[in-house]
Amino acid sequence: MGELRIALQSLKMSIHTRLQYRVDSAVAALAVFIRESANIIVIYLALLKFDRINEWNVNEMLFLFSLLFLTYAFVVSLFADLRYFSDTIREGRFDRLMVRPRGLLFQLVLNNADIIASVGHGTLGIILFLVSAGRVGIQWNTGTVLYYTGTIIGGVLMQGGMFIIFSSLSFYFVETGSIRDIFYWNMRKFAGYPISIYPKVIQIIMIYIVPFAFVNYFPAQYLLRKPDMAQYPEIYMYLAPFAGIMIYFLAYLFWRFSVKRYKSTGN
Amino acid sequence: MRTYLEFALKKFQNKMVYRLDFFMGMINTLITIAVYLCIYKALYGNASVIDGVTYKMVATNFVIALGLSQAFTFNEMFMQDKIKDGSITNEFLKPVSFKLRMLSENIGEGLFKVVFHFFPALILTCLYTDICMPKSFANLVFMLLSMMLGYLVLWLISFIVQTWSFWLFSVWGIVTIKNVFINILSGSLLPLWFMPRPLKTMISCTPFESIYFTPVRIYLGQLSGMDIFKAMMIQCGWILVLYLTGNIFWKQGVKKLVVQGG
Repeated sequence: MGELRIALQSLKMSIHTRLQYRVDSAVAALAVFIRESANIIVIYLALLKFDRINEWNVNEMLFLFSLLFLTYAFVVSLFADLRYFSDTIREGRFDRLMVRPRGLLFQLVLNNADIIASVGHGTLGIILFLVSAGRVGIQWNTGTVLYYTGTIIGGVLMQGGMFIIFSSLSFYFVETGSIRDIFYWNMRKFAGYPISIYPKVIQIIMIYIVPFAFVNYFPAQYLLRKPDMAQYPEIYMYLAPFAGIMIYFLAYLFWRFSVKRYKSTGN
Repeated sequence: MRTYLEFALKKFQNKMVYRLDFFMGMINTLITIAVYLCIYKALYGNASVIDGVTYKMVATNFVIALGLSQAFTFNEMFMQDKIKDGSITNEFLKPVSFKLRMLSENIGEGLFKVVFHFFPALILTCLYTDICMPKSFANLVFMLLSMMLGYLVLWLISFIVQTWSFWLFSVWGIVTIKNVFINILSGSLLPLWFMPRPLKTMISCTPFESIYFTPVRIYLGQLSGMDIFKAMMIQCGWILVLYLTGNIFWKQGVKKLVVQGG
């Protein structure tokens, strides 16, 4: 129970810090919301003209996007500090965590929720979900609601797991920012659209190497059943909620193993 | 003039030091272009021409507009940082114009990105997909001229927004929102040919079209002869309007500026 109390306290602190500058925070959250909407507006306008992209219509596209934004809203509030973990190491801030009587990952996860980004992405995700969920022909019953919830949790853990893996690399190399940029931020640009529109190489990366496909594409396929699913093993749709848990668990083991190698940067 | 050339050159050389940055920037540009090429390839499906626009033209539009939009980025928090820590007063003491120094440094950085991020990405994209050749050599020359005018339009819009940091706590949010408008309305994320008509008419009354779409149209030969001249006059007109507007904000801001301590 103590753990939960600390977690809530820490979240409250993050919110309080931001609320010091109310107007600025509101503008920043709005800016994140608008920035992330850009891709949505662009695909929306394109589909006004073209109607479909690989048989996906506009509502189905919005639904596909909503999964990405909803999961990311949780990822930035939980794993905010792991995004730039190499800086934490280089500046020696990691040592501070080591002398505290709580788990290292636990402290990192709680530190610094990025409330602004979370609100921006979350609002967009919710709006996209509300707009599209009723119009894509999903039968919302216990089964689909359970699958949907599981898939959101899986998506959050999947991306959190990726952050943990990139962070763990910081124990071996001084500068890991570029690895993270290439494998996370650049690959994320591909996510959001049906992966079947990409060349085979990109599809393979999105499924097996940086598995964004399990965050939104396969879950959306389970609920929507578009024809382009025929190219992929059907089991992937069912695996989607569990893939995240598995990656997170592997990431956690890798983290545990790597922390042991940690030597402070000194000074 | 020499001084400002020096500023641009220094910035260019500064950027050269970071080799990794070169590689990352190129990958970033390449992937950004690739995503949109794939989207439009899927949108076109089996169709070859839609509204008189071929996929090849769309690809050309993305390579130029999206590629350049990645290269034409610079630190838009520059003025705010200078105002926040008060070091802007030092700038006023120097015998160079602050605005021109900003512009020349940004141009230096832009040039670096064009050479080391945009060109390699352009070459790699051409290996993967077909893009249109310029209509003629003259079109290419005019396109390059028009591209420079487009850069000035882009820079002046940024300058205006940056001057608001004299009044606001942080311009980050507004800069971000401004960039969304530019990215969508300038045609770098969505070829303007496919914009719904009312929106397209609206855009033609704004400076956004002048940034990337005018150079693209000149390159493709959609504009020729007098039309090129007219389009470039419109670009110059916007540059003048934006310059004067920016100047008003700048003058008012400097007047209002209070720096605590020293």
